[in-house]
Amino acid sequence: MAAVLANSLIIAWILYAHMGDRLVLFRLFGTLTVQFRPDPMGGVFAGLIAVLWPLATLYSLSYMEKDPRKTTFFAYYVMTYGVTAGIALAGNLVTLYFFYEMLTLVTFPLVLHPMTKAAARASRKYLYYSIGGAAFAFIGLIFVLNYSAAGNTEFVPGGILSPAAAAGSEGVLLLAYVLAFFGFGVKAALFPVHGWLPSAAVAPTPVTALLHAVAVVKSGAFAILRLTYYNYGTGFLKGTWAQWTVMAAALITIVFASTTAVREIHWKRRLAYSTVSNLSYILFGAAVMTPLGLAAALCHMVAHAFMKIASFFCAGAVMHQTGKTYVYELDGLGRKMPVTFGCLTVASLSLMGIPLFAGFISKWNLAQAGLQYAASFGDGGAGSVLPLAGVAVILYSALMTGIYMLTVLVRAYFPREAGAAAGRESAGGTEDGHPVTDPDWRMLVPLVIFAAVILALGLHSAPLMELLGRIGGEAA
Amino acid sequence: MTGPVRVILPGLCGVGGLTFQADGFRLLFLAAAVFMWCASGTFSLEYMAHYEKRKRYQVFFWITLPAVAGVFLSADFYTAFVFFEIMSLTSYVWVAFDETPESLRAAETYLAVAVIGGLVMLMGLFLLKDLCGTLDFAQASAVAQEILAQGSGAEKRRLYEAGLLILFGFGAKAGCVPLHIWLPKAHPVAPAPASALLSGILTKAGVYGVIVLSCGLFYGQETWGQLLAVLGLATMFWGAFLAVFSINLKRTLACSSVSQIGFILTGIAMAVLLSAAGEEPGLAVRGTLLHMINHAAFKLVLFLCAGAVFMNLHRLDLNEIRGCGRGNRLLAFCFLMGALGISGVPLWSGHVSKTLLHESIVEYAALTGYFWWRGAEWLFLFTGGMTAAYMTKLFVALFVERPAQGMRSGDSSLSMKGTSKGAILVPALLILIAGLLPGVVMDRLALLGQDFFREGLGFHPAAYFSFENLKGAAISLILGAALYAGIRRFLMEDGRYVDRLPAWFDLEDLVYRPVLTTVLPGVCRAVCSVVDAYIIAVPVRIFLAVSAVSFRCLDQLADGVILAARKTTHSQRPKAAGTAGAVKAEGAPVLSAGLSQAGAARNGAERACPGMDGDRSGMDRGRSGMGGARASLGDTRRRWQKKLRWAAGRIRHVWGMIEESFSFGLILFAMGLCATIGYLLLTFFQHR
Repeated sequence: MAAVLANSLIIAWILYAHMGDRLVLFRLFGTLTVQFRPDPMGGVFAGLIAVLWPLATLYSLSYMEKDPRKTTFFAYYVMTYGVTAGIALAGNLVTLYFFYEMLTLVTFPLVLHPMTKAAARASRKYLYYSIGGAAFAFIGLIFVLNYSAAGNTEFVPGGILSPAAAAGSEGVLLLAYVLAFFGFGVKAALFPVHGWLPSAAVAPTPVTALLHAVAVVKSGAFAILRLTYYNYGTGFLKGTWAQWTVMAAALITIVFASTTAVREIHWKRRLAYSTVSNLSYILFGAAVMTPLGLAAALCHMVAHAFMKIASFFCAGAVMHQTGKTYVYELDGLGRKMPVTFGCLTVASLSLMGIPLFAGFISKWNLAQAGLQYAASFGDGGAGSVLPLAGVAVILYSALMTGIYMLTVLVRAYFPREAGAAAGRESAGGTEDGHPVTDPDWRMLVPLVIFAAVILALGLHSAPLMELLGRIGGEAA
Repeated sequence: MTGPVRVILPGLCGVGGLTFQADGFRLLFLAAAVFMWCASGTFSLEYMAHYEKRKRYQVFFWITLPAVAGVFLSADFYTAFVFFEIMSLTSYVWVAFDETPESLRAAETYLAVAVIGGLVMLMGLFLLKDLCGTLDFAQASAVAQEILAQGSGAEKRRLYEAGLLILFGFGAKAGCVPLHIWLPKAHPVAPAPASALLSGILTKAGVYGVIVLSCGLFYGQETWGQLLAVLGLATMFWGAFLAVFSINLKRTLACSSVSQIGFILTGIAMAVLLSAAGEEPGLAVRGTLLHMINHAAFKLVLFLCAGAVFMNLHRLDLNEIRGCGRGNRLLAFCFLMGALGISGVPLWSGHVSKTLLHESIVEYAALTGYFWWRGAEWLFLFTGGMTAAYMTKLFVALFVERPAQGMRSGDSSLSMKGTSKGAILVPALLILIAGLLPGVVMDRLALLGQDFFREGLGFHPAAYFSFENLKGAAISLILGAALYAGIRRFLMEDGRYVDRLPAWFDLEDLVYRPVLTTVLPGVCRAVCSVVDAYIIAVPVRIFLAVSAVSFRCLDQLADGVILAARKTTHSQRPKAAGTAGAVKAEGAPVLSAGLSQAGAARNGAERACPGMDGDRSGMDRGRSGMGGARASLGDTRRRWQKKLRWAAGRIRHVWGMIEESFSFGLILFAMGLCATIGYLLLTFFQHR
């Protein structure tokens, strides 16, 4: 806990005092260095995890209290924090890639933590998806290095490709971009390489919540944003087949995952599919490649982090208190765990994109970005088809989100009459007969804070959007 | 009056902040909302007294009021949308309140309509924002008028698309056909005071949006007006049609709400059409406005009466509650006020607004001279007759007929506290007063609110009790009497009311639910699984097959080399030591070599499956022995078949192992490295 807090403070200090400074760790060769350089966009991600990690750790302290191997767990948990911070603050693509690989390795034991057969399978799946994806990302890295103007992979807003070198080999560069997009997309759970994420829902809740809803998956999305806006540069990619490919992939993912989530009855797996679809919102923002697109993507990154971590923590709290993991078991719990389900309500409504909540702001901006981009092609331009489809997809997915999140709430608050009698009996207590109550304060405090943040962001998002808009403005 | 007051809250709720405005119309409806909330809130005190969850009801009851107020005060689409959504969600709890299967199902319908309507509206808002650059009512209207006047065809089309999407959202809440499905479901199960608000004022929030669209963005557009007129007339007729057949007290009232909203929508359509024809739409505007207010009052009274019935008897089926109100003069009086008002009987306030609406249709029909509009006028009168007929049906069933066996009758069966009586009586008296003194009450209200529709409308007091206007009402009422006779003849059997509409005759179960729950997700899922199964899985399988075959070949190659080596150069070893062990011992260093050689993709991959070689070479040994024995048979063809089958089995085994193992990731990784390095070498030599 102390280590986590210290880390957060350090990040805060770095962001406050050293914005734009450069810290070169060592040189690989030539001008290729491993270096950190906090900039506003990295700052957003770093700030995000710096806020979430201490709270999630507090939650895990209570959640993992009875676990025999909690020391191991916390060791890796804290390690992951450092590695994720490394990704956020990385100054060039090589550094980011190093930490990206490291992230796979330190989170692997966390997925394996329950040591069951399912966990072993899930962790193996996770490992080979990630490593395979990283290979493709590596291809992109090499190409960026090879064609950059300065011979390094520095993150510079607007891209670093040298037009002279790139001339003539656009095709292969675009292919490399698409490969790298899908490579990093593995972590961001892009369809068809999303398979590991729902399987990984077997991990302890703090892991699924923080890593598989925020740190790991957002690292993938973050890496894609970096690659798109800071290495390749949007000028190079706009209007090419590469853009349409990745945009189509993101849209297919949204439709696929939100539809699958409706059919899923295991609560955490349902949330995992919801994560898959929401991450592709971010990727859609990335694929729009306009200033507003980046701003909206970052906004959704922040908003989704809070919403999804809150939802997962609620699911975890229910599991912890009652041992229930399926949606159909939740009848009538809303009354017994008022705080937990209150927070879940906020998170669900926000995920749906109801005004007043943070999710609405980001979805609104995403749709605006899509529409603006579509409008830039003029009327009837072929390029406007996909962005417009994107807006429609966002609304379709909002409907599906409504179905899969609200069915949980409806069950919890309005138990079915038929099952209510039986439900009251079994929901009345856990196996050992204690009445079901809200979990202790260490679990509730993070939940309430997250819900409050969602509301605050939804009500007053102007400062955040201004900051993100500035980032978007300079990067694209 | 001074100019409208605007309040802008910038930065709140993100996108552009919230904007509110107060003018005559908005204040009027704000006042109406507050009045209705107070009346039904007072009534709820007694109605809800025995429910254990009344606290939850009270909370959601009162937080819906500010949401409704927010909608009515909004000055831009965004603000309206925000409060509209809040209103939808908080009122959901009213419908689901009972937690019975029916109420949960109805609540599901309600929520689905609200959510889908909200999303479709949001899509429309996106388009509108994109097109006009603003969502402010006044500014967007100005831009839209400009586009419609001189924009390109594509722009006009997109504006219409946006308008239709927004209309869908507001129309869903208003209860416009074909999105009326939630009203007949939700009202019978919601608590009566909540029903009064749902149909009295929440639907009006939807109508508010339709007015903004029609009298702002699409003012003077004939196409829009015709569309709205068709919707309005269809809603008007269909609602009344369902109401005539319904045998549930609150369901009838709900269907009646649908029908009355149809009247209002028709009025709006007439306003648009008249303005398109270059006339001043004063009649239609005032008719619409007054009917909105009137309908709110009628439904307040009628639903509270229904609440009084339900509170005492806990039943709503007309056959079970018939005659329960006999002798209860107060309740009969109040119900009668509502019924006479809504039927448009002269001297009650409904007559005033219906006359104005009727006049506007007549005016437009005379203007265009189309036969079609004469038909619309008759449909209007006929629906008025249906209204009178089903209200008579309710009144007779409740207050005239003898009670069914086993039911008490008289004053004692429907007892109410004084507060509840007051809550019903006050609005009932208002209906009467407004109807008796239309010039004093109704005209002033109309004058107060009409600027919202269009500024600078003149005012010509209509003679509500002139012969022409009384004739319209009389035709309606005569039709109503005839229809009621028909009801008694065809819709009653042995003195019982029967529902002649078949059970499957339900738009929701017939169309909406199957589409939403099966077709839509099913299709999306099917598409995705086809993509998954063919476009993704096939390359993966091919890749696995190729790598499995090539591994097997490499294996054979390595085994062959080792075998050859043992036979020739290393044959000095004692054979008894076991060949498999020897192979293992030799295999390991060979395989562990080249760990850091990034280019050696296949080696790297092979390294990931340690142990495979040992087992395999052991099996190889056995096989070659067997093969030798069989060779003596001389049947080469069968031997090859066997061999092939065995090889296929081996390959499948390797395939499985690759798929299962960590090596999959490593293979991918190594392939990526291979490709990159190959490419680098290529460019390197090119540049040379």
